[in-house]
Amino acid sequence: MLTRRRLHWYKLPLFAFSLFCFILAITLMKDGARSLAPLVQQRLHVQGFADALGFGWLASYLVMSGSPVAATAMTFLDQGIVDRFGAYGMIVGSRMGASFIVLFIGFLYILRGRSRMAGLSMGLLSLAVAWSIQLPAIPVGLSLLASGRLDGLQLGGGADLKGLFDIVLDPVSQTLRGLLPDWGVFLMGLALILGSFNLLDRCLPQMSLKESQVGGLGRYAYKPWVMFTLGSLVTLISMSVSVSLGLLVPLSERGLVRRENVAPYIMGANITTFIDTLLVAVLVQNPDAFTVVLTEMLSLGVVALLVLVIRYSVYERALLRAVDWVLFSRGHLAAFMFSLFVVPVILLAF
Amino acid sequence: MPIRVLAATGGSTHSELALKLGAELAATRGAALTALTVVKEGDPAWKATGILSHAREVLGERLPAGSWREERRVGHPAEEIIAVAEEGNYDLVLLGERQHHRLMTRFFLGSTAARVVEHAPCPVVVVKGRVGPIDRLLLCDSGVQEAPLVDQLVARLPELLRGARAVTVLHVMSQMPAGPAVEDGSGLEAQAADLIAGQDETGRVLSRDQQLLSAVGVTPRLKVRHGLVAPELAAEAAEMGADLVVIGAHRGAGWRRILLSDLAHEILATLDRPVLVMRAPGAADREEPDREAGAEEPDREAGA
Repeated sequence: MLTRRRLHWYKLPLFAFSLFCFILAITLMKDGARSLAPLVQQRLHVQGFADALGFGWLASYLVMSGSPVAATAMTFLDQGIVDRFGAYGMIVGSRMGASFIVLFIGFLYILRGRSRMAGLSMGLLSLAVAWSIQLPAIPVGLSLLASGRLDGLQLGGGADLKGLFDIVLDPVSQTLRGLLPDWGVFLMGLALILGSFNLLDRCLPQMSLKESQVGGLGRYAYKPWVMFTLGSLVTLISMSVSVSLGLLVPLSERGLVRRENVAPYIMGANITTFIDTLLVAVLVQNPDAFTVVLTEMLSLGVVALLVLVIRYSVYERALLRAVDWVLFSRGHLAAFMFSLFVVPVILLAF
Repeated sequence: MPIRVLAATGGSTHSELALKLGAELAATRGAALTALTVVKEGDPAWKATGILSHAREVLGERLPAGSWREERRVGHPAEEIIAVAEEGNYDLVLLGERQHHRLMTRFFLGSTAARVVEHAPCPVVVVKGRVGPIDRLLLCDSGVQEAPLVDQLVARLPELLRGARAVTVLHVMSQMPAGPAVEDGSGLEAQAADLIAGQDETGRVLSRDQQLLSAVGVTPRLKVRHGLVAPELAAEAAEMGADLVVIGAHRGAGWRRILLSDLAHEILATLDRPVLVMRAPGAADREEPDREAGAEEPDREAGA
């Protein structure tokens, strides 16, 4: 079903370089994050879970991606700028805002004459799925963090991985710290992490789903657990929900993406997308960071599995009705877009 | 030759629905009707007698006495119904089904109905809701070429079509664009006329349905809806006041059974009116009935 072109050998050093950039980015963000403490804690008043949720949400709009914001949360936690609950809030916020990029691109297509349905339906569905499992997962996650039940589950190896690159990392990091103020080092790290994700995407095998090979497979309605597993596995490799959704585009051009199949696929993708944040948590070598990411993934997983097992069709219909409601008129769409910005601002302000 | 209809009754209120539909088909479509009851091993003999006696009252409201047959069996209800349908070479099986509370419908299609639908050698009507004249038919064609619904209906149960005042062929398009770059012209928002004009696979199926139905004197309305199959089908059935909904069932075996959703089951659990399930020929994968030694011989009685 998935075709892969022959392995291009240049991708191996490219992968190593992107990994190096990724680790360097984390190092720079860690080093520079401390200087942002006054801005984050005193000017923006990011102190608790709700503030951090709003902050992470708005930050992911700004950078048009959730992963760098989640990575930032790890470095902030490591530097004591936010506590565990704050870091958790930032990660949750990063997911809430991450689907915005798909919506934004959809709006551009609408301005170019595409219908609202064609332009926005997938973005809205992606957002609706993310929110609908994230919101009930929040109390689960908060109680897990408060109870400390996951504190003992840790993954080592961060020091070993970082150590492989230290001989090159340290001089680069020191040079940049000498040239730039701390906040500049942080921003350099943020830009570098965005670039490293881009490079990592290029390293992935060019997967294209040829209609001739998929044949009639795309016409069927699969059981939700099948699509959930597929979405999880694809995103485990791609580490990006956007990439996983992009894989569906050539299928849908042939009319082979069914509404029944999309929501559980996105649900699975929203859980394993945190694999890169888990890697960041390992690299910062902070046990709390690992616990926070694990808490997020576990709480999402619990909620998603409960939805899949109990009353899935009710959930599915409610999701699609919500999307249809937003697309029904320009007024509904405007109200929805307004709430996308107002809600995180309110969370941050109060 | 009249269609042979087997109406199964267990004596409950909802199983009366099957009898009422059977009476309707006998009265208006000239069907040859048999009322069947199955009691469990160890049940007293008077139980079956009582059920058939009640069946006579229900059928007698519509049909003259003696115009139907009766049969009683002992054993597992689903297995016996399937066995009788096969032995008697019936064209249609009718089963009444309780309309569960809306919150429960996702779980429940009764086990007897589910098993009979799955394994019967002929089409099965799961009868729910209101039973009346079969004037308005809704045929839901998935567009799957391997098991064309209308072909089967015209070949196996043409009597259902004759006498219908309104027939709608519905195709539910559940596909959606996966991103803003997907072209509108893929037909994801198309209507029936667009699909037929575009001559894609679904358009060809709809066009063929129209021709087949016209050949038996029916002028169908062709309709396309966009959304999830079961809710859109239910909405269309409610809008047009369908007396009978006809669907196909072709989930198949092997990997398909493990990986694919059972849309037919979902539709049956969702709809609040009679649904006729037409399995593709050869798709029934029933096992031989497990008949214990000494099981009662079928007891056929003419309605008295």
